[in-house]
Amino acid sequence: MNLAFIVIDDSELDCFIAKKVIEHNDESTKVTIYKEATLALQAIRSTLATANLFTIILLDLRMPVMNGFQFIEEFEKLPPYVQQQYAIYILSSTKNEIDINRALGYQTVVSALEKPLTKISLGALLYDVRHRHF
Amino acid sequence: MTTATEKIKILYVDDEQENLVGFKASLRFQYQVFTAVNVLQAIDHLNNHPDIRIVFCDQRMPGQTGVEFFEQIRISHPSPIRILITAYTDVESVIDAINRGNIFRYIKKPWEEADVISAIEEANKFYLANTLLAVKHTELQKAYDELNRFAYSVSHDIRGPIAGILGAINIARDISDLNEMKEMLYLMEKSLQKLDTYVLNMNDYYSLQRGELHLQEIDFTEFFEELESIFGVVANVSKISFRINVNQQEVFRSDKALLKLIFTNLLSNAFKYQDDSKVEKSVVVNAEISRGSATVSVGDSGIGILGSHIGEIFNLFYRATSQSVGSGFGLYNVKTALLKLNGHIEVNSVMNQGTTFKVILPSI
Repeated sequence: MNLAFIVIDDSELDCFIAKKVIEHNDESTKVTIYKEATLALQAIRSTLATANLFTIILLDLRMPVMNGFQFIEEFEKLPPYVQQQYAIYILSSTKNEIDINRALGYQTVVSALEKPLTKISLGALLYDVRHRHF
Repeated sequence: MTTATEKIKILYVDDEQENLVGFKASLRFQYQVFTAVNVLQAIDHLNNHPDIRIVFCDQRMPGQTGVEFFEQIRISHPSPIRILITAYTDVESVIDAINRGNIFRYIKKPWEEADVISAIEEANKFYLANTLLAVKHTELQKAYDELNRFAYSVSHDIRGPIAGILGAINIARDISDLNEMKEMLYLMEKSLQKLDTYVLNMNDYYSLQRGELHLQEIDFTEFFEELESIFGVVANVSKISFRINVNQQEVFRSDKALLKLIFTNLLSNAFKYQDDSKVEKSVVVNAEISRGSATVSVGDSGIGILGSHIGEIFNLFYRATSQSVGSGFGLYNVKTALLKLNGHIEVNSVMNQGTTFKVILPSI
């Protein structure tokens, strides 16, 4: 199963952790980090043609400039064949059920994980992805 | 010595003119008495003097009874305490009115001055207790709203860095490369500093809400020298030119701790949100004290603030950029501190060129 990851989070440490956990699991996995959701959105839009690798988006909710919810709303405006290349998983430190439920209410959001990302939670996520998409 | 404005304001409504005259004659030295021969006049008084505390009304009036009048103003003018003046024959309607909460108490006719005065004193106590309660209720509502926002931010601003550190410790077990480990320690440190800033700001926030003003004479040259020694280190390390110009020829009084909070936050922002790609980086403070007011500008050559975000930067927990470790607390505290000092702040910002905050404060 070939997968790529996009991590969208304004916290440098959390980005670093996510990248390391993913790389420790499989060194060949491509992980791209965006500290601003707008930049991730631009990249997703501009690599439309070449993005042929199924990509997991790990998305934080509370971020300055463009928050997770705004990102999802913009993402859902992309053409369906682009959206199908991606699966969004929320990765947040929040325990706030209103926020989590609101995020899970979006069609493109698959599930929510609690920070920090660990070997175990990544394992569960990969299992979930395999189960759903492959 | 009490002046007319300090007297308790009472209104007496009665269709018989001589009753009004008698009432006013015996009470006008102690209270400010308004009189009305009919309901319309009474409503006029209540509209023109919202601080009328007690309303007396005769039960038997043509057109509308006292009880009916009270029922009406209970909705339109709920604050004044309502006292009915009535003869024994109306006892049924009085009991009914009291039970429905329309009147505070009643005085029987013909009234004795002592009864009226004791009724006024009781009613006034009740009025004050009610008013105090309303004020407390508003304060409580505000505190409750803030508590809600805190609870919400706790999961992000406090739990966020903690989850990060825990995650880092977790993967440390799998890291053998020393440089990678050092990079992670650096990020862990930044994360903890952010948490620390949050806690310190929260402390500022609470002392602002509860604290009283401590006024003293402010020598702005001395004041900014203190801040210069704190921020000089950052300026040196990051190669940012730091200039302070003070022009003060007169005495200025204010709260030094609040001023320190305001300018520490503004300077900290000015240094934090610099544009690393620029060769010439600067922070400039200009302070002009004249005619009882201080105008202090803090300007930087930084990244600037997007026009659409400027309206929101003084909101609690708002962050306009992912650059640097903002807590979303700083400018909110600045605004609150300025409010306490009767000052205000203006922002001027151009993207990629810099931001200038101008603080205007009166001498207190």
